[in-house]
Amino acid sequence: MAGSRGKSSPRRYTRRGFLTTAIRGAIATGALTAYGATTRNVAAAPTAVNIGALFPATGGFAQFGQDCFNAAKLAVQMVNDRGGIKSLGGAKLNLILSDVQSDTTVTRTETERLITSYKLSALLGSYASALTLIASEVAERHKVPLLTGSSSDQLNQGGRKYTFTPFARASQFAKAQLQMAKLISDKPKVAVVFENTAFGTSTSSGVREQAPGEGADIVMFEPYSAGFTDAGPLVNKVKASGANVLFAVSYLNDLVLIVRTMKQMGLNIPLNGGSGGFLHPDFYKDTGKDAEGLLGVAHWNHDTSADAKAVNAAYEKLYGKFIFEYAGGLVAQTFMIADALERAASPDPQKVRDALAALDVSKGFAAMGPGGKVKFDQTGKNIYGHPVGVQWQKGDLVSVFPKEDARAPIVKS
Amino acid sequence: MAAVVAQALVNGLLIGGIYALVSIGVTLIFGVVKIVNFAQGEFVMIGMYISYWLAARVGLDPVASLVVSMPVLFAVGVLLQRFLIRRVLGLGDMPQIFLTFALSLLLINLALLLFTADYRTVDTSYSESAIHIGPVYVGVARLIAFGLAMLLSGALEVFLRATDLGKAMRAAAQNRDVAMLMGVNPEHVFSMAVGLSLALAGAAGSLIMPFYSVYPGVGQVFVLLAFVAVVLGTMGNVRGALIASLMMGMAESLGIQFVGADSGLIVVFAVLLLTLAIRPSGLFGRQTR
Repeated sequence: MAGSRGKSSPRRYTRRGFLTTAIRGAIATGALTAYGATTRNVAAAPTAVNIGALFPATGGFAQFGQDCFNAAKLAVQMVNDRGGIKSLGGAKLNLILSDVQSDTTVTRTETERLITSYKLSALLGSYASALTLIASEVAERHKVPLLTGSSSDQLNQGGRKYTFTPFARASQFAKAQLQMAKLISDKPKVAVVFENTAFGTSTSSGVREQAPGEGADIVMFEPYSAGFTDAGPLVNKVKASGANVLFAVSYLNDLVLIVRTMKQMGLNIPLNGGSGGFLHPDFYKDTGKDAEGLLGVAHWNHDTSADAKAVNAAYEKLYGKFIFEYAGGLVAQTFMIADALERAASPDPQKVRDALAALDVSKGFAAMGPGGKVKFDQTGKNIYGHPVGVQWQKGDLVSVFPKEDARAPIVKS
Repeated sequence: MAAVVAQALVNGLLIGGIYALVSIGVTLIFGVVKIVNFAQGEFVMIGMYISYWLAARVGLDPVASLVVSMPVLFAVGVLLQRFLIRRVLGLGDMPQIFLTFALSLLLINLALLLFTADYRTVDTSYSESAIHIGPVYVGVARLIAFGLAMLLSGALEVFLRATDLGKAMRAAAQNRDVAMLMGVNPEHVFSMAVGLSLALAGAAGSLIMPFYSVYPGVGQVFVLLAFVAVVLGTMGNVRGALIASLMMGMAESLGIQFVGADSGLIVVFAVLLLTLAIRPSGLFGRQTR
């Protein structure tokens, strides 16, 4: 025993030593890069413009946050390769990444830290609406503009002046789903199943409220508890309801179970899963043919315009998968910031904010989202933004709705 | 109406077979070693990941990967008994509860770290096929799972009744002290019992894989009803756990069908409470003295 302890203790020391060295090394590298960046800027005259990117690269949303970082890096690279900000003497964008760890408290402290430690001209963030709402609060307080693809309508409320949302809002999604149902049937009979927590209940009630206005008939409206072992009884009820389209507000594993049970029972009606994690390329990789034919709604998709396709091609070359909704929108947002900086001719966040409020673009990467134009109203909402209906077709997420964004017709399974 | 009831009963019976594998494992450990294994669901999760990776990397059918998941988990069970459970035996309830509960948390978080929270699914040729008998359909993957679950439960029953080791286990379950006086080696019996119990959890994992997604928290989904079945079928009683599991599966299914899709468990717990009110030690327990 004593012998083994004697043997292990120097090893432990070495390991600790190694770690310390590694950490010191990492700090030194960080310091060097920062130092290197400043000297290079001094030499090139214009100072780099700092843009903060707050995304969850670890924790529950890690899969999505990492792709957001990748997209932000690509976007900044694209802006810089095109000559940076010309009105600032060709100043480059300098991206400052921060991992908010899928956690609201970390989001708050990291947003504070980024704003107070760097002279930021603008912020990007933070995938999940719950995180973005926090980042937005802090950004408002420090008067730094925040661009976000998060869909919660709350981001346009409470007199926010520094928060800009260039894409469709959550309240617009239900309407788009109902309109997609009309592409499938002239008289859509919709069955709605949803998991019985806040997420499912609030999303599904939006569908129920707007159904009469869109000429859709709700024939079934049923909550269920997430994480069931058998979708049989639920699908049985859908079948009995005579619905010709099914809306499911579900977590991913329930969604797969519902799809499989529908196939087993021979219930051959289109399934619309709304918006969420299943719009990510990994979903198809993990579930294979169960995803095929699945419908959803997104605020951005990689195939709606030539510019979007170009961004997607660049991203795919780097990361081997298509650029998902939120990450793609992020590239557009970076170009909106570049456009605002160009017109403000100053990295001052207040001036950038004012230039964003006056933004009016209809071409280029800034305008490559659904709607093809960006102009913000008083609440920071893009007046041209609308959701795009998407469908998994042969491993690709294809835009199918509305007509101006569609790249292929809906496959009615 | 009759068709709907029949369908609900068939669905419930099939999933009940899976609950049975989990609950038999729990009840076997409890009966022999006298410890409640809160981590049983996590061993189902490990079985699922073994089958998933074998299917994804080697292309092995998840049901066939039973031949890997069962021995692997058996070995894990033996090691678990030798190195962890043995140390807390006789220390009272709290250390034992903390041990298995901590193990459950550890395994879930380890899986999160290694495999992320992604839902992973295996596609087999029969994942989406079903046999239609009149108005009732029977999912092929579930039918295979149920059939093999019943086969394994039957094999365990035969093992417990016909072999020396099985008899030793039953003896230890009935009265540990007397069994030891009769020359039963508790170390060996305990290791085998925990090993067998985990092997059953591994089997459950492999059998679920063709129709259910695996993710780090998946064990919790199956373990809740399994625990209900263990109590309902009298703790420590293998046959009781089997029958109670099938009942619970059907109760849940009927609940979802007739009470509401978010309240299937209401029926399950109503059955449990009623039974315990009449027979406090479960369906197969001796009347309390």
